[in-house]
Amino acid sequence: MADLVKITVDGRQIEVPHGELVIRAAQDHGVYIPRFCWHPRMREVGMCRMCLVEIETPRGTILTTACTTTAAEGMVVHTASDTAKKAQEGILEFLLINHPLDCPVCDKGGECPLQDQTMAFGPGESRFVEEKRHYEKPIPISDLVFLDRERCILCARCTRFADEIAGDPLIEFKDRGNHTSVETFPDLPFSSYFSGNTVQICPVGALTASAYRFKARPWDLLVVESSCSHCTVGCRISVESSQNHVLRFNGVDNGATNQGWLSDKCRFGFEFIGSEQRLRTPLVKVEGEFREASWAEALDVVADRLGAIIEEQGGDAVGGIGGARSTNEDAYAFGKFMRTVVGSNHLDARLDDGLDARFLAAVSPRAKIADLDRAATILVWAPDLKEESGSLYLRVRHAVQERGAKLVVVHPRRTGLDDRATHKLTYRPGEGPALLGELAGGAGDYAKVLETLSLGPVVAVVGRTGLTEQPQLAEEVAAFALSLPDAKVLPFARRSNVFGALDMGVAPTLLPGRAAAGDSEATGHLEAVWGPIPTQAGRDTMGILQGLVDGDLKALVLLGADPVRDVPAAGIARRGMESAEFVVAIDLFLTDSSELADVVFPAEAFGEKEGTITNLEGRVQKVNRVVTGPGQSQADWTILDDISRRLGKPLGFASAEAISKEIADVAPPYGGISWELLEWDAKEGAVVPYGEAGQPVAYRPDGVDREALAAMSRNPESGAFALHLARTLYDDGVLMRNSLSLHALAPGGAVHLHPADAARLGVSEGSLVEVETVDASVRLPAVIDPSLATGVVYVPFNQPGIPSLGSDLSVVVAAGEEVSA
Amino acid sequence: MDQGAAPPGIMVTTLGKVANWARTRSMWPATFGLACCAIEMMATGTAHYDLARFGMEVFRASPRQADLMIVAGRVSQKMAPVLRNVYDQMPEPKWVISMGACASTGGMFNNYALVQGVDQIVPVDVYVPGCPPGPQSLIHGILTLQNKIMSGEITR
Amino acid sequence: MGMINNLRRGFAVTLRVMRRTVFGDGLLTTEYPKESRQKPERFHGRHVLNRHPDGIEKCIGCELCAGACPARCIYVRGADNPIDEPVSPGERYGFVYDINMLRCIFCGLCVEACPTEAITMTHLFEMSVTNRDDAIYTKNELLVNPEGIPNHMFTPEQDPMVNLDELKDADGWMRATAPSGRAAYEGIPGWSASAGIGLRPPERGQAGAEVEEDDDD
Repeated sequence: MADLVKITVDGRQIEVPHGELVIRAAQDHGVYIPRFCWHPRMREVGMCRMCLVEIETPRGTILTTACTTTAAEGMVVHTASDTAKKAQEGILEFLLINHPLDCPVCDKGGECPLQDQTMAFGPGESRFVEEKRHYEKPIPISDLVFLDRERCILCARCTRFADEIAGDPLIEFKDRGNHTSVETFPDLPFSSYFSGNTVQICPVGALTASAYRFKARPWDLLVVESSCSHCTVGCRISVESSQNHVLRFNGVDNGATNQGWLSDKCRFGFEFIGSEQRLRTPLVKVEGEFREASWAEALDVVADRLGAIIEEQGGDAVGGIGGARSTNEDAYAFGKFMRTVVGSNHLDARLDDGLDARFLAAVSPRAKIADLDRAATILVWAPDLKEESGSLYLRVRHAVQERGAKLVVVHPRRTGLDDRATHKLTYRPGEGPALLGELAGGAGDYAKVLETLSLGPVVAVVGRTGLTEQPQLAEEVAAFALSLPDAKVLPFARRSNVFGALDMGVAPTLLPGRAAAGDSEATGHLEAVWGPIPTQAGRDTMGILQGLVDGDLKALVLLGADPVRDVPAAGIARRGMESAEFVVAIDLFLTDSSELADVVFPAEAFGEKEGTITNLEGRVQKVNRVVTGPGQSQADWTILDDISRRLGKPLGFASAEAISKEIADVAPPYGGISWELLEWDAKEGAVVPYGEAGQPVAYRPDGVDREALAAMSRNPESGAFALHLARTLYDDGVLMRNSLSLHALAPGGAVHLHPADAARLGVSEGSLVEVETVDASVRLPAVIDPSLATGVVYVPFNQPGIPSLGSDLSVVVAAGEEVSA
Repeated sequence: MDQGAAPPGIMVTTLGKVANWARTRSMWPATFGLACCAIEMMATGTAHYDLARFGMEVFRASPRQADLMIVAGRVSQKMAPVLRNVYDQMPEPKWVISMGACASTGGMFNNYALVQGVDQIVPVDVYVPGCPPGPQSLIHGILTLQNKIMSGEITR
Repeated sequence: MGMINNLRRGFAVTLRVMRRTVFGDGLLTTEYPKESRQKPERFHGRHVLNRHPDGIEKCIGCELCAGACPARCIYVRGADNPIDEPVSPGERYGFVYDINMLRCIFCGLCVEACPTEAITMTHLFEMSVTNRDDAIYTKNELLVNPEGIPNHMFTPEQDPMVNLDELKDADGWMRATAPSGRAAYEGIPGWSASAGIGLRPPERGQAGAEVEEDDDD
């Protein structure tokens, strides 16, 4: 850290780092200087002039903005002298000249920095009696954000955020002087994935969220801090509810994860919690029709039929999918239920990510998100982070832009990070291994890339770029990355708490605490608490579904999983579920999958239950209850506990907190992590392995074998295109489908083609293209996308109304018939 | 009470009316002043409002001689069993008026020390809003109760 | 002898009071259901939600009353004002407005908090109910009708105690701190006499304000 200098603030001498901004230095030592434009996570501009303070110089005192002045040895600052106060009062009076005092109807009223600071630092009276400036109010600048230009005080927080932080410079100031206002560009809405952050940082009510418009006032909100579970970063959020309805999420500044920002999916993806479609009672299927049933009745049906299958065919005939959408406690209960009550090793929390469970749970050395800020080079060979994990995207962007890290992006298509990348490599899906081989060889064009990558420390974000890609590629990439100097790997998978579920042993190859299944020491440790556990090899999600199709498996337990919708090979998922003798689903909604179940139990959702989640770096954070679940819904672990009781092998859980204590006992990396710790001492979360605990399995991928890589490479069948199937931020997943304002933003089905391919097929932008895979054939509008390699089509995965294309690489593309106008 | 049965005969209905009328004209309240509302309840008994006009001037200190309990004031958790005890000692038919916000709902004292509504302990016939309800409000409550009694059956 | 003296002194007091009451025009028993005592001017009775003179609702659904309420007896929800048929002036209107009269302590803080003088208190006090659900007054009952008369919870058929004529006397008094409480308005009744038709000139921004403003200047 930089040298410390002594400065005097309001007569008190303090020591601060050299070069620290006066406003931050004063705040850290308990002197609050009023501000509007300055935000601790953004660059300073000195726009609003609110932070005027008096600083003594050799030529007398000067008034200057505390947010643009850096601390220097011997500096004397007066924040509340008569001159400074007069200046601050003057600025506030000036800012209020055109600010309409419609606070009673303004959504910001009650939590408004302008209100608060006018009360604290303002003059109390305005001399301005003339008419204020008028604009049409409010105007929607995107589907999620309203702009009221009358209220704007031109602090430029929103425009700077959009430009500097989000990289979507879609709003800007227009005109000059009195007429200056924030505007979008003509015909281009503020369609940033991060637009909601501007609402939160706006110091007045100029930007408001459409989802929260007039819903409540700050003083009747019940605010509870929690961790978002839309992606695996685990952003810290405040869940705010009124009258037992969750009304909004706000970002909380957790230095380790989101640093206060949220993507719009996280911020506005709360509507599903209060959806009318939520399940409220258990459902039992009688003659093909669901009928509402009592808990006792539904549990009896499960006990009878599941019990009979276990009795006759053994626990091995039962598979379990899910747990990634639950808390660690629920996932642990699920793992224990499957392994001890059912007696099956066929369980999996990964639906389709395809990456090896051991790689995701135990790759070593594993990077933390904060390592990005210290990295010299960042390699992103992963899905488009902007689409799949907004907060991680912002962290990578920040590291590159503000910390000077070099960035290498490898992806079949353009990604949100391309404009900051030192090198961007594009490849045809299936040919990733060949590319990796050449990159590792460093011949030709790749020499420069390799040179960049040999600047350590390196952090590699490694995931599966698309759903048609070879799952083993990620491990090879990790192996390559770890051969780089001082390298660490951050494994990336999207599905909310999938890392927590894997840590809880919800995978055929893992036991709780990242131990390998079959490891005798870990098994012994576990059996001391659990009793005997099955030893036969387990199946993963695709294995379970295939087993159901083949008749090897008879029954399925779904825990918050929707394989029919989420597994790329939807055909197998549907056939598997249909051919199962008995399916029990624990779910929030009647999804495409739980529709096929025999018994459905209503579960509690995020915000309705307590527990912990583990993010992609292994950080354990607490999630909290704000509202009560609808109807008779219950927490997942309660339901599993009830079923286990009926099956005669009670799990014996008393509470979620008791489960967390059992986890700490059973899983050595989680030893010492308790709810008290997370609530009081480790507010930023505790990273596993916690404390002294080691990693039972330190999985380090082997070195790069170019021949093996070449053999792994695949090409589409001749004449066919290679399919790039990737997720978008908003899609047709069950949570999005029930968050109506976001579901409408899903881009919809489209076929992206390289211009050369489009010309060859005779397709122009918007004309229909026929896409045929093994699983399905659809006709979708074409989008010309020069960022693709030739011979590649990109189709967004899981869009409303579009059948699943399957995960086969080859796809036949032809110009579809024009729809006659 | 048995609305579904055959309509009661002229004899019974007339007798019922007479009995109900008699009841409304001689309700003797048990003293249950708990707080500020009790001051208004006392004022209701004074000459200016003159509860004697309704035959109610005798506030009885003994529950055995009372058939109306006016719960006037906030009921603390400790008072609750006492209140129930007094109510249980009153002879049937008996009625309860919950006077004021505190007795009815806890009012602004939404805390652990107070019973949030006396109807959690005893069945309440009439709720009188107010903080405190003035004598006229209380009399309105009493009149409401009289109406209720008049429209009821005698078999209670 | 002493006893007679005591009796004499006691009855002297009685007679002195009787001279003032029974024989004079002083305090007499108010036979309440037949006649009602005049309430003090600033009596805190049942609330009403007022309308502007042109009939539009004053409440903008800002929930400040709910925030100020110490008994938490007010439940308000705002909503976007329909542009074609605005319910109140401005962007927002009170979509739900409930007061639980059984929890209300009639302190008047809601009236103090209201930025638009939408909620005021009347002299109405007859609110006794036999069912506690009936003590929750919704917007329907609280809002005055275009004639300025509040609605009653019950119709006379539902409740024989209802005297709809009383509602016409439901004065909605103004708070002292409101703009209309300034010295310039002293002596001028609130916008309604007996919550009836407005006597006071419409305020700036209200329909018909132009002409009146010229008069003021």
